[in-house]
Amino acid sequence: MAFEPKEPQKEIKYSEMRIYTDEELNNYTEEELKNFKIKHDIPDLEELEKGPWPSFVSDAKQGALHRRKLADDRMLIDRDVIEDMLGQLQVSFNDGETHWKHGGIVGVFGYGGGVIGRYSDLPEKFPSIAHFHTIRVNQPASKFYNTDFLRTICDLWEYRGSGMMNLHGSTGDLVLLGTTTEQLEPIFFELTNELDQDLGGSGSNLRTPSCCIGKARCEFACYDTQDLSYELTTYYQDELHRPAFPYKFKFKFDGCPNGCVASIARADMSFIGTWRDEIRIDQDAVQGYIAGDFAPNGGAFAGRDWGKFDIQKEVIDLCPSKCMKYEDGVLTIDNSECVRCMHCINTMPRALKPGKDTGISILCGAKAPILEGAQMSTLIVPFMKLEPPYDNVKEFIEKVWEFWMEEGKNRERLGELIQRFGLPKFLEIMELPPAPQMVKMPRENPYIFWKEEDVPGGWDRDIKDYRARHKR
Amino acid sequence: MAMEDIKKAIVEFAETNKKTKFYFKDIEKAVQKVIPDAKMREIKKACTELINDGTLIYFSTGSSTMYGLKGRGMTEDPE
Repeated sequence: MAFEPKEPQKEIKYSEMRIYTDEELNNYTEEELKNFKIKHDIPDLEELEKGPWPSFVSDAKQGALHRRKLADDRMLIDRDVIEDMLGQLQVSFNDGETHWKHGGIVGVFGYGGGVIGRYSDLPEKFPSIAHFHTIRVNQPASKFYNTDFLRTICDLWEYRGSGMMNLHGSTGDLVLLGTTTEQLEPIFFELTNELDQDLGGSGSNLRTPSCCIGKARCEFACYDTQDLSYELTTYYQDELHRPAFPYKFKFKFDGCPNGCVASIARADMSFIGTWRDEIRIDQDAVQGYIAGDFAPNGGAFAGRDWGKFDIQKEVIDLCPSKCMKYEDGVLTIDNSECVRCMHCINTMPRALKPGKDTGISILCGAKAPILEGAQMSTLIVPFMKLEPPYDNVKEFIEKVWEFWMEEGKNRERLGELIQRFGLPKFLEIMELPPAPQMVKMPRENPYIFWKEEDVPGGWDRDIKDYRARHKR
Repeated sequence: MAMEDIKKAIVEFAETNKKTKFYFKDIEKAVQKVIPDAKMREIKKACTELINDGTLIYFSTGSSTMYGLKGRGMTEDPE
């Protein structure tokens, strides 16, 4: 099925939008790069160029040389920004502390996020990076773009900014590193009007939603992650750009429990694809794997000979809930015990597929350590069916936001709030019944306590009578 | 009309408070002290209008965002 955009989309042609000629983009030789020295001494940074990995120092040097050789009128901010950035980093290495200041009144009109003010605290020594703001650009769903788009952004950034980018930031945004305050509005204008491109989120607002590659390329995807991500991005524009939350809030969308965008570890609200019927088994294909007709793991780990595929050792024994059996040439799964670890499906993708009755699980509260320690998300909604325009999802989101905005303290993430109130209380507020899926080991560490009104007939207990028989 | 009252309460709070930058929560609390039945959504809308007409400004550290009154405290880029 061909892709049909919901709204007509602008086709961006690099040939029409480009700022630089090919000669300007390739304006130095390998020889020149080898002999190139930036204007500051950076011995510690140059150490980082050694070793087997690519180094941002080498990349930055290329950018610096490129800027040195551009004509004066071919860039709108200082020529030396990259060299000064490296110089300041060396000073930070010497001092063991950062020389960046951050925060301030920078931004584009009407937006509370998307631009992060950065200033050097050594402006006399490194004048070109005295103001060096970061711009976050909202990535398209699953980060699909064509080279015309990327090259156009690169040209724009070379011209109005430092030319340095970080693809991609943790939330998925294209991060444009370093420009001056005067360039912010023109960049915003060109991004929105010429490139049909919005800024991402920063500050106390909804951060740029991000999703895995989803149904576009992946057979495991249990729902259309791109569609849900796009729908919620457009529906919650106000929350994205006009911050009024206690702190940041992140959505991430994983199509299946493999979790390729790691929503369970990084998002305040993780949407993970799952199924509620049975894992589909093709017994002939199981035999094919055992006979060695198909390479396990989709042919990954093929770098050495691991011996004949052993279904018992490589699949059955590794099932975390021991819910699989291979007997008399038949593979069976006790689906009620399956914890969606995906191992068997990943190992034998031809033989096993997620079920057909698919939807999402919603988990809440993951965060990185800033005010308190890191936390993984907790399962809140075990299963929800999905159908555009996703009204059930929006209803849940708004209920959570309402609670968090009402009760959350300044700079308190949802995960910390749930911890402060306790999960049973949170479930009560969300009007969700406790379910065994919410507990890691339901038979060992239940955290739900019954109230008298929950139990038919209630209970009567005379504490004095009890103490007569049980010493404190 | 209610919107105008909320805006007035916000500006009053921003002008008289010791601090010059405020979390949204603190603005919300201050407005609800004067107008107890003001809803969070309305207060947010009022803030947005004040931002759009240039009375208030956003102040962002990158991780959290605060509001300030233009002209009060540090409201220009440090030069």
